[in-house]
Amino acid sequence: MQSQTTQIAILVAVGTLIFLLVPFFLVMYIRSYVRHKKNHVLEKETMKQKFEAEMLQTLVEVQDQTMQTIATELHDNVGQLLSLTTLTLNSINLGDSEKAGKKIESSLSLVNKSIKELRELAKLLHGEQLVENGIGHAIEQEINWLSKSGAYELKVSNQLFDLQVASPNKDLIILRLLQEIINNIIKHAKASYIEIDCYYAHETLYLKVKENGIGFSYDEKKQKKTGMGLNSIYKRIEMINGKLVLNSKLNKGTSIAIEIPYP
Amino acid sequence: MRIISPIIIAELFCLIAAIFLLSKDKIKFWKVNIAYLCIALITESYGSYLSSKSIHNIWWYNSFILLEVAFIFYGLYHCLKEYINPKPLIFGGLGISYAIFITYAILDGYTTYANTTVTVMSVIFVAYCLYYYYLLLKDERVVELKYHPEFWWITAVLFYYFGGTTSNLFYWILKFEILKNFPLRLIIFYITNIILCSIWIYTYICRAKQRKLQS
Repeated sequence: MQSQTTQIAILVAVGTLIFLLVPFFLVMYIRSYVRHKKNHVLEKETMKQKFEAEMLQTLVEVQDQTMQTIATELHDNVGQLLSLTTLTLNSINLGDSEKAGKKIESSLSLVNKSIKELRELAKLLHGEQLVENGIGHAIEQEINWLSKSGAYELKVSNQLFDLQVASPNKDLIILRLLQEIINNIIKHAKASYIEIDCYYAHETLYLKVKENGIGFSYDEKKQKKTGMGLNSIYKRIEMINGKLVLNSKLNKGTSIAIEIPYP
Repeated sequence: MRIISPIIIAELFCLIAAIFLLSKDKIKFWKVNIAYLCIALITESYGSYLSSKSIHNIWWYNSFILLEVAFIFYGLYHCLKEYINPKPLIFGGLGISYAIFITYAILDGYTTYANTTVTVMSVIFVAYCLYYYYLLLKDERVVELKYHPEFWWITAVLFYYFGGTTSNLFYWILKFEILKNFPLRLIIFYITNIILCSIWIYTYICRAKQRKLQS
């Protein structure tokens, strides 16, 4: 009987020890879980801040690009038109009323053209409103300025008008990506033909740009660390969970295909 | 005979800590802690005194169980209300505990230790404590666990009632004495009480820190 009681006592003592250890390990587990949760939240917060900083940077770059376009337009287009108007008006001989009338008419036409150009430029000044009418319109505007230069043969298929979905943050990044790609083409590609194709399907936005320029070796650029524009493109695409496929062959041009989950 | 037991010392320390750290608290639950510890200390002291005089003291401890049940459920209510509406759970548990207490008081008499009530209420308390942990982990907010008074208050309750489960279950056959006049049940009771009081002291320190930060 005594032995049985001793056995029960041992059982109870061991049981109690286990029953005290269980809450101890439970508390340890909860502490570890909460610590991981805290780290995860901090990580998320950091990522959010990074994204916001990147968005701000993108906006600044878009505005900078717009300013450059406006400056070029004012110098090359409006400036020339107004100079021509001044020359025409200066050459008016009031004694010859028939010729003077024609010159005044011509000057008026030049002034009207200048006003039209200035209106177009004014639209661009609202850099942040560029994507307000949708990514389709923003891309179209970007292509319009490119076509105005007359330096490239363009083939454009823009199917992004009247999209039922929108994502202003992504729109801004997509527009900046296109600007960066076009800039790279203008600065380095020496192309004569550019093909731009953009469309939306299966909750994905596709943007494809192809040109017939001199091409380059991506690995070489990466090694020389000169491809900063490309790095920035890759970084931004990664930020919005997109994909980029780049194909380039020396003297055979470059093609860039971008896929972005949208909206 | 012993009047001053380790439980009385632990409760006294806990009460002093509670008075120092919680007396200025504006939240009712924390103030109630002081009152509860005060009553617990009186109960334990008088119980020990009766025992030293070899006077039957079970009725005295049984009366305290009624208050203990109410206080622990109130604490659980205070902690759970952060995440859910705990009224149905609390009143349900309280009803079950009191019903069992009354039933056994009628069947066995008030002078028999209400072990069934203690066992059942321990199971309920443990379940609610674990449910609190679940809600805490599920919640999207991140809490500084190290200084979270509610978490430590619950942890103390879990240690006390979960740790005492085996001795509750074997209550009637557990008179095995490790030392003279020290049955194993009493030693387990001392240990769980000391753990409870120690964690509650830490809880009150956390609460005082929290109050300072919030002010």
